[in-house]
Amino acid sequence: MDSLFNEYWLQLSQLFSNSQQRLYWGYLLSALLISALWLVFIEKGKSTKLNLKSLLISHWLSKSSSADYQVILINKALFLIITPLLITKLYIATLIYEQLHLYIPIRSDLADITPEWLVVTLFTLTLFIFDDFARFFLHKLMHEIPWLWHFHKTHHSADKLTPLTVLRSHPVEGLLFSLRSALVQGSCIAIFIYFFDDKVDLYTVLSVNVLLFIFNILGSNLRHTHIYIRYWHWLEALLISPAQHQIHHSTLPAHFNKNYGATIAVWDKLFHSHCYSQLSDNLQFGLNSKQDSQEHSLYNLYIRAFVDIGKSIRSFLKSPKALKKRSLPD
Amino acid sequence: MKLNKLMTAITFATLSATAVTASAGDKYADFPITVKGYTGDKTHSVSYGGQVARQVLQTSLMKLAYKGNGEANPELLSQMNAYYSGKDAGRAIIAPASKDGFPVAQTQVDQLSKGKNLAGKTYKGAVPGWPGNMTAVEVLNFMIEKASASDAGFDYTNGMDYPQLISKFAMGAVFYNQAVDNYLDEKLAADTKPNDKAYKKGTAYTGKEHVWDEAFGYFGAPTNGATVDAKQAYAVAKGKKDVFAKADLNGNGKIDLDTEMLYAHAYYAAGADKSGKTNYLNTITQAFIDGRQLITDAKGEKLSDAQRTQLMAFADTIKKNWELVIAEAAFKYAGSVYKDAQKLQAGIEKNEDVKALFKKYIHHWGELKGFSIALQTGGKDLGGFAVQLNRLVGFSPVLLGNTQVTGIDAKGNYVQASSVSLNEFALQMLKSQKALADQYPLKARLNDQLENLSALADKIGSGESTEND
Repeated sequence: MDSLFNEYWLQLSQLFSNSQQRLYWGYLLSALLISALWLVFIEKGKSTKLNLKSLLISHWLSKSSSADYQVILINKALFLIITPLLITKLYIATLIYEQLHLYIPIRSDLADITPEWLVVTLFTLTLFIFDDFARFFLHKLMHEIPWLWHFHKTHHSADKLTPLTVLRSHPVEGLLFSLRSALVQGSCIAIFIYFFDDKVDLYTVLSVNVLLFIFNILGSNLRHTHIYIRYWHWLEALLISPAQHQIHHSTLPAHFNKNYGATIAVWDKLFHSHCYSQLSDNLQFGLNSKQDSQEHSLYNLYIRAFVDIGKSIRSFLKSPKALKKRSLPD
Repeated sequence: MKLNKLMTAITFATLSATAVTASAGDKYADFPITVKGYTGDKTHSVSYGGQVARQVLQTSLMKLAYKGNGEANPELLSQMNAYYSGKDAGRAIIAPASKDGFPVAQTQVDQLSKGKNLAGKTYKGAVPGWPGNMTAVEVLNFMIEKASASDAGFDYTNGMDYPQLISKFAMGAVFYNQAVDNYLDEKLAADTKPNDKAYKKGTAYTGKEHVWDEAFGYFGAPTNGATVDAKQAYAVAKGKKDVFAKADLNGNGKIDLDTEMLYAHAYYAAGADKSGKTNYLNTITQAFIDGRQLITDAKGEKLSDAQRTQLMAFADTIKKNWELVIAEAAFKYAGSVYKDAQKLQAGIEKNEDVKALFKKYIHHWGELKGFSIALQTGGKDLGGFAVQLNRLVGFSPVLLGNTQVTGIDAKGNYVQASSVSLNEFALQMLKSQKALADQYPLKARLNDQLENLSALADKIGSGESTEND
């Protein structure tokens, strides 16, 4: 029991000390610096109250933020128990690697003729792109498939955004994203090693995929803040800006189901869910503009999804057509 | 005055404790004679010459197995039989033999022990991993006969490398079986070879002392096996002259084959230990030394229950680690066969001359097969794991026409049938490695074909795996 408790605290502390985590102190510091530079040099002191309010202690002690903290603490405990039971990327990689022997019997000379730097570059890039696409696609499904949306609402019920909001998610969503990660990473590992053998490696900085590191150090944590940092439109067509992600959390119906992307905006372009940021930054966050504080209760964060799904099933069994008419989000 | 007495007592106690510690030593040598009533001229009680004789019979038999000329060769067969089942005097030690800068002291088997053979000590059980439903003795006789008619040890039609098969299987069926399923098992029973009696009338050692020594002799470690560096030990077995000075422990200018040479599983323990991830050679030898010291400390009296329990614990350490040594070797060669099969497939696709590759492939499979069936001779029921391993490794490697040996006919000829492709066989080698790693807590894992996968998976880490935006 003691070791379990110690492991729990270790994992919690690693949220901020492990560079593979979004909330690594280095990324938080860089986000703070970028936001300060933005407010001073770009906004030139013209920031709205909304921007500045997000820096106040009251914002961090709000019901929404308190709910973030509770979810983080509870989910960490849950995943401490669940994680050993989950399918791992190594399991997937081994499975696919074995099957490749049967379905692609000839490996050719790829491993011999391709320079190592090219193999490592390709692997680093492929892993980043596929991981980002999978993240985008599952995120899109979380919004567009009714029963998945019930779970994803836990994340979108946050009306005050802080970098910690990234961890405010229903455990079922956590499980799905864990499976997604295992599938994508396991597949990439298996395919590359099958064809390029021991030449495969990953370019890393602080033990993180170099591209992911760049994404994180350039302010990934600003996505879940009220600091409305926009890019030029040409850049927002390629990469998701913090402002674009804040639009994704907006309660404006026009912003519903927009900007699912994590890093790359091209996926949203391809799937017609892309939305550029606008000059106005008076966004309100949450499930809807009339959201009450009950959305931050543990019941709503954890249990209501199951109750709502149960209702949907009952409703479907009574009248299948009724379900199709439902529009999302709530 | 009282203070002086106290100091004297403390000094005496310290010296006594030091003496006990020193007597434990770090070498498997020079344990004093404890058997009561001994009147001979021996100065110590250690004796495992018979086992070392069998070690050199095995290494010599392996050398002979390379001498086939591709036709039935009764003379070679007779010579091989002399080393496997014969007991005649005058058998030369073919290996290990003196080399430039690495002279060995003994040239005749009889110099180590007279009248010894391997057949009499071979595992009596059946060998399900070999075709023909034979006992281990029958398997070795069958292999020896085939080897005598082979092309320098190889049968390219059926994918056999007999020197490897004979050597690796004999190590298991004789040495491993005798040690773990006999000397370290039933012969440690209270009333079997008791410690309060001489092993035989007039011997300088008790029953238990000799039982323990014999098990040590079968392991094949030199007397300094508990402290020797793995790389050095490995080089000694290879007869490298640059380690001669260190290997010549008694400084007589020659390597004494009974105390200074490394054989059989001790050699493979050193092979695994070179990885720096394991310490099998030192661990096993130390357990042998500790057990021998415990027996010596009983001073020729019957072992108490507590002493026997402790002795069994040392035996357990030896058995577990010894089994791991064999499993590590099988794991390593499964990885080699995997790589060979892949290269062979690629060579065939490119219409290259694959003769050398094929020979290497057969060679590695022979080692894998030998170790994998040796693993099953320790008297333990390995259950489904053994069945799985035998099926994956097969009765032969997959041959170039995608056939495989499936049995032996009434005349002793191999029977082949169509099988999987080379690539699928490579996959079976991966599965063999997985099966071995699942069954045993392997650490060295040489030639690990899944290592790249796990290393890369570790490098990618688990950050953000459950996070969404």
